[in-house]
Amino acid sequence: MIINVEGLVKHYSDVKAVDDVSFNVEEGEIFGLLGPNGAGKTTLMEILCSLRNFDKGKVIVNGFDLVKDSRKIRGIIGFCPQETLLYDLLSVRENLAFSASLYSLSSKKLKERVEYSAKVLGVGEFLNRRVQQLSGGMKRRANLAASIIHDPPIVILDEPTVGFDPHIKREFWELIKNLKNYGKTVLLSTHDMYEADEICDRVAIMDGGKIAALDKPHILKQSMGGEPSIHIRVKEPQKKKALQTLKDYKSTFIDDEIRIFTTNPWETMNEVSSKLSSQGILTEKIEIMEPTLEDVFIRLTGRKLTEESK
Amino acid sequence: MNSVIGIALKDIKIFFREKGTVFWTIAFPVMILLLFTAIFGREIPFNANIGVVDYEKDTQGISASIMSGLNNTGVFTVKNFTDKAEALKELNATNLRAVITIPKNFTQDLYLGQASVELVVDGTNPDVTRLIRDAVKTFFSEYYKQFYHQIYGTDYTAPITVHEEIAVVGQEIGYKENIVPGMLTYPLLFSSMVVSTSAIVFERERGTLKKIRAAPIRPINMLLGKTLAALFQTAISIIVMAVLAAFLLGPKLNWDVPLLGPIFFLGSMNGIALGLIISCIGRAPQEASNAATTIAIVLQFFTGMYFPIEYLPVYMQQMGRVIPMTYAAQALRDIMIRNATIGDLLLPMATLAFSAICLYTVGVLLYKRWVEK
Repeated sequence: MIINVEGLVKHYSDVKAVDDVSFNVEEGEIFGLLGPNGAGKTTLMEILCSLRNFDKGKVIVNGFDLVKDSRKIRGIIGFCPQETLLYDLLSVRENLAFSASLYSLSSKKLKERVEYSAKVLGVGEFLNRRVQQLSGGMKRRANLAASIIHDPPIVILDEPTVGFDPHIKREFWELIKNLKNYGKTVLLSTHDMYEADEICDRVAIMDGGKIAALDKPHILKQSMGGEPSIHIRVKEPQKKKALQTLKDYKSTFIDDEIRIFTTNPWETMNEVSSKLSSQGILTEKIEIMEPTLEDVFIRLTGRKLTEESK
Repeated sequence: MNSVIGIALKDIKIFFREKGTVFWTIAFPVMILLLFTAIFGREIPFNANIGVVDYEKDTQGISASIMSGLNNTGVFTVKNFTDKAEALKELNATNLRAVITIPKNFTQDLYLGQASVELVVDGTNPDVTRLIRDAVKTFFSEYYKQFYHQIYGTDYTAPITVHEEIAVVGQEIGYKENIVPGMLTYPLLFSSMVVSTSAIVFERERGTLKKIRAAPIRPINMLLGKTLAALFQTAISIIVMAVLAAFLLGPKLNWDVPLLGPIFFLGSMNGIALGLIISCIGRAPQEASNAATTIAIVLQFFTGMYFPIEYLPVYMQQMGRVIPMTYAAQALRDIMIRNATIGDLLLPMATLAFSAICLYTVGVLLYKRWVEK
């Protein structure tokens, strides 16, 4: 393993931001921290990057102890926070050169790394443009390039695609997968279940500073969100009546929809349709959905990923 | 709500929530008003150290009465000397602004109406030179008037001149020669302090400090980088100001770059270190920026940059003497006006170096503490 976290605890006054968290990250994998805002993901990542102290626990990164060898650890991590940390008045090339200077890179190595960034992260087309002239997507790519200019074996990405359009998001996912292909270990945080599902080899679901579950996405879905669900939407005045009618099923009410979890979705859907019709309830929508990581999260916490963590 | 009002209300609310910003906004006018009141709200807005060399030592106490009379004017703080050479040494070391020598037979000459004293005055500040000349002349004229009345019982009607031999230390200079070294002190205090404060506050505000802190560099490396950039920016201010002053004002000054360079460097380091401390103490960027500006503006009154330190009340003059920039301002005047040598500058250089090291160390410790938080 390349990252080993054991019993990590971090308080902000009376609030436990990270509560007895333990996990390992294997070399070369993409490891996701999935959770809503306030789950403790950013705090956890900032601790790993030596940007925050912690109260209790042990963190070993590539064999180095975070307390004793924090500078060595900072040298092997590339941290890309949510916000774009580039200087607007400098060009992308100048920003990359500045980041390289923080890691004492030689000019030859810098040249190689700029070429790598151009090839792998696609910053070549706007290398000489000032950051203030770039689009949001370009800035994020340049930000990522600056964060890994020193060729670190571990890349930590905090909400790398938050606020992106779907097509830019997909483009970024490819960039992250590409990092893995180049041998990097990636630890990323996200509150986007599709992102975690799409690009992560393993996912730790966080809520209230704790890890609620950790495994490969498909195993999590099978074991905890395992059952497909039937999503039913009815007209507003008939909601109560519909819920009363379906009270014998394993159901929840989320996003104006009734969700019924079942191992036998087609049969259950027919039954539910008949029951609702017999009561004169008109359905606006009724469909079968395969389980997602969001279902896993809902099963674990009773809330959606888009809600604040408790 | 109108958008203009909405924006204004938002800014006002934020202003009141940044307690430090509120403090410095109020502190600035209060400090300036208190300073001006202390400096100019007095009857005698001037006090200079002068030496009196008494070769008379008369039994009638004439020379003693002159010395106490000079002290009682409130314009002078008198130090007594028995040897003129010793007094002139103090004058050259800028510890005194003038030396008055009471010659032998002064009392006898006074009775004969032929008395004279010798006045040697520091000519490197035209304001001070003029004020001291006028004050000394007025004093002796009044003194002789009273003496005449006591002896002869009548007021004298014809003006009697107290003979003075007036000499000047260094070259007697004009206003522009005096003001240029003061102007060159300005970037040391203002530019360096504000630049270094804003350099760190800028990184903090933009979040880019996070990126720097995530890299394997020591806090001191980050601060040294910032210091180098602040030194460069301060140097630009100094060079621009010096070149413009030389061309526009054409002062007759000694532009001894090898001597001026170390003073500029040490002065800037003091300003930068102070800026670093302010940037670590100020929580909000606006607070740090206001604090740096206020402190720089207030300090310039104490340093003798623009007007002689003798205009300040004595307690303020003493406060000025613990401010490193006062030594930088004085050293610049010594080099440019008095043609001071490296030997003359050892004390101010050592003082500036010592204070720079102390302030910088405090700044580094505060920064480290802030980072570790």
